[in-house]
Amino acid sequence: MQRMFMRRVGLALLLMLAATALTFWLVTAAPGNVAALIAERAAGAGADGAMIARIADELGLNDPLPVRYARWLGDALTGDFGISLRTGKPMAEEFAERIPMTLALLSGGGVLVLVLSLAMGIAGAVSNGGVADRVLHGLALVGASTPNFFVAAMLVIVFSVWLGWVPTFGVSGLSSWLLPWTTIALFPASVLARVVRVNLQDSMSRPFATTGFAKGLTRRAVLMREALPNIAIPYMTTFGAQFTLMIIGAIVVERVFGLNGVGAFFIEAIRFRDFIGMQAVLTLFVVFFVSVNLLFDLLAMLADPRLRRPRKA
Amino acid sequence: MTAPIYEVEGLVIDLYTPSVSVRAVDVAGFHVAPGETLAIVGESGSGKTVMTLGPLGLLPEGVAVDLRGTARADGKDILSMSPADLSRLRGGFFGVIFQDPMSALNPMLKIGPQLARQAQLYAGLSAEEARKEAVSLLARSGIPDPEDRYGRYPHELSGGMLQRAMIALALAARPRVLIADEPTTALDATVQAQILALIRQIQKEDGIAVILITHDIGAVSVLADRVAVLYAGQVAEEGSAVDVLTAPVHPYTRGLLASVPDFRSDHATGTREIPGIPPSQTQLEPGCRFADRCDLVQSSCRTHRPPLVRLGAGPVPHRVACPVVIAAEGIVTHD
Repeated sequence: MQRMFMRRVGLALLLMLAATALTFWLVTAAPGNVAALIAERAAGAGADGAMIARIADELGLNDPLPVRYARWLGDALTGDFGISLRTGKPMAEEFAERIPMTLALLSGGGVLVLVLSLAMGIAGAVSNGGVADRVLHGLALVGASTPNFFVAAMLVIVFSVWLGWVPTFGVSGLSSWLLPWTTIALFPASVLARVVRVNLQDSMSRPFATTGFAKGLTRRAVLMREALPNIAIPYMTTFGAQFTLMIIGAIVVERVFGLNGVGAFFIEAIRFRDFIGMQAVLTLFVVFFVSVNLLFDLLAMLADPRLRRPRKA
Repeated sequence: MTAPIYEVEGLVIDLYTPSVSVRAVDVAGFHVAPGETLAIVGESGSGKTVMTLGPLGLLPEGVAVDLRGTARADGKDILSMSPADLSRLRGGFFGVIFQDPMSALNPMLKIGPQLARQAQLYAGLSAEEARKEAVSLLARSGIPDPEDRYGRYPHELSGGMLQRAMIALALAARPRVLIADEPTTALDATVQAQILALIRQIQKEDGIAVILITHDIGAVSVLADRVAVLYAGQVAEEGSAVDVLTAPVHPYTRGLLASVPDFRSDHATGTREIPGIPPSQTQLEPGCRFADRCDLVQSSCRTHRPPLVRLGAGPVPHRVACPVVIAAEGIVTHD
């Protein structure tokens, strides 16, 4: 268990290194020239080739890629992600302002995913082929196949424009969060509802479920007491994977609902060829992806007594 | 003879999956009295488990079941009970031991608390008494260091220990009928004998009724007072263990006993297999189910289902569904 833990953490660190190196290379390979952008900003139309070359030399842009990556990595490890080419502010400052917004979006959405997926999956298993089961199955299919920008637009039309219940844009109290949370939660909740439903069904056909009935439990009690603990492992791993994917959803959702988070910043960074900003946000995403997946894998391991307490030899 | 405590009559069970329907039990029945051990014998698919556990609603989920006939527990009709009453009956009145304890015990749940909960719910004990009862049940089932095992998960125990835990769980509610569904099939040979001895000891001490579902004739001879032989969902022969094991009449019972290897003989020459395979139970034909595999088959066997006829004048009824052998060997019937 401890060795497995250390291996997972080591693997995660390696993965972060590889992924940041890859994004570093990709961002450099993208069309555009950082030195030219800086020169343009400083001197406007007066920027000439000599000035661009001097800036490139000063910034070490002519060094080989591995050297530049190593330099970037050293800075990043101390929390220095450079200065945004678009806003002119240090990325650390941008992050400090924007991460809370994105975190609020993701954590609210995550809670909604948790509640919705468990409620839908369990209700389906309780109904077991009944009307509720089939309706929920249909809903989950729709939810898992509708793109989030479309969901966002529909929600805004119905709840903001027609009904006028919630604002269309920006942050003003809890009600303004309802549509963004719903939009970002719909896809992962639908996928996870199916995970819950299918794994509950599988557990209910296993011999230990029959033992549960033999213990005198009603079907609902067998579901909740015997089957539900057995879905913890697949649920947690899938939840981790889906939760990390929500950061991709955040890019669209923040944009559509005018939330000033990291995702919205990323879109602007791409539009303005803010290479420094892009690399910083991508690094943040990589760290988020890898560490959240690691966290949920470890939680799933802890939930399984067979892994938590291996048989003594 | 004491009145039966679990009694099933004229039971018909059809199982449906989306593609096939199978008549798993075709007008069959059995009964067991307190203090008595009934062995239900037959090969895989003969309907032993379905017949015994089906009336209790203990068939695997996902199979549609159509069930007719009568089933009574302590005189009460089971089949007309509400789901809540039936659940309570399953939990308290019946104790069930399953074939493979590794899969029959929930891997996510500790063993002891499950026992304690049964004792608390069905034996009316307080939480503290129930915990003590659970530990003493584990000890009684032959589990060493029961205090430690109480908090263990199934994967932390060996197969034999798990089956002992399963027995303890089945006994925790202080049931009146213990159903053991092939309790030794998944275990090592040496452990099998221990488990059978444990079941016999419990049966003696508690005077409960035991139904042993098995295809292991050795287990039958160790435990059973009475035997019912099931073939393709029908009872071929039933009677006292002595009658059925030493003086079998039905050609299937004879074949079944002849196919048991005798470890004392030098070769396998002593054993004979029954030629052929059991009939498909998806298509129902009239007549004796065993007809296609029977040496003594006559044309009437294929048109009429042979009735169970009581033989001799013994105190425990010996019934056989084979008029051909009865007539050929001049066996005296009861009336």
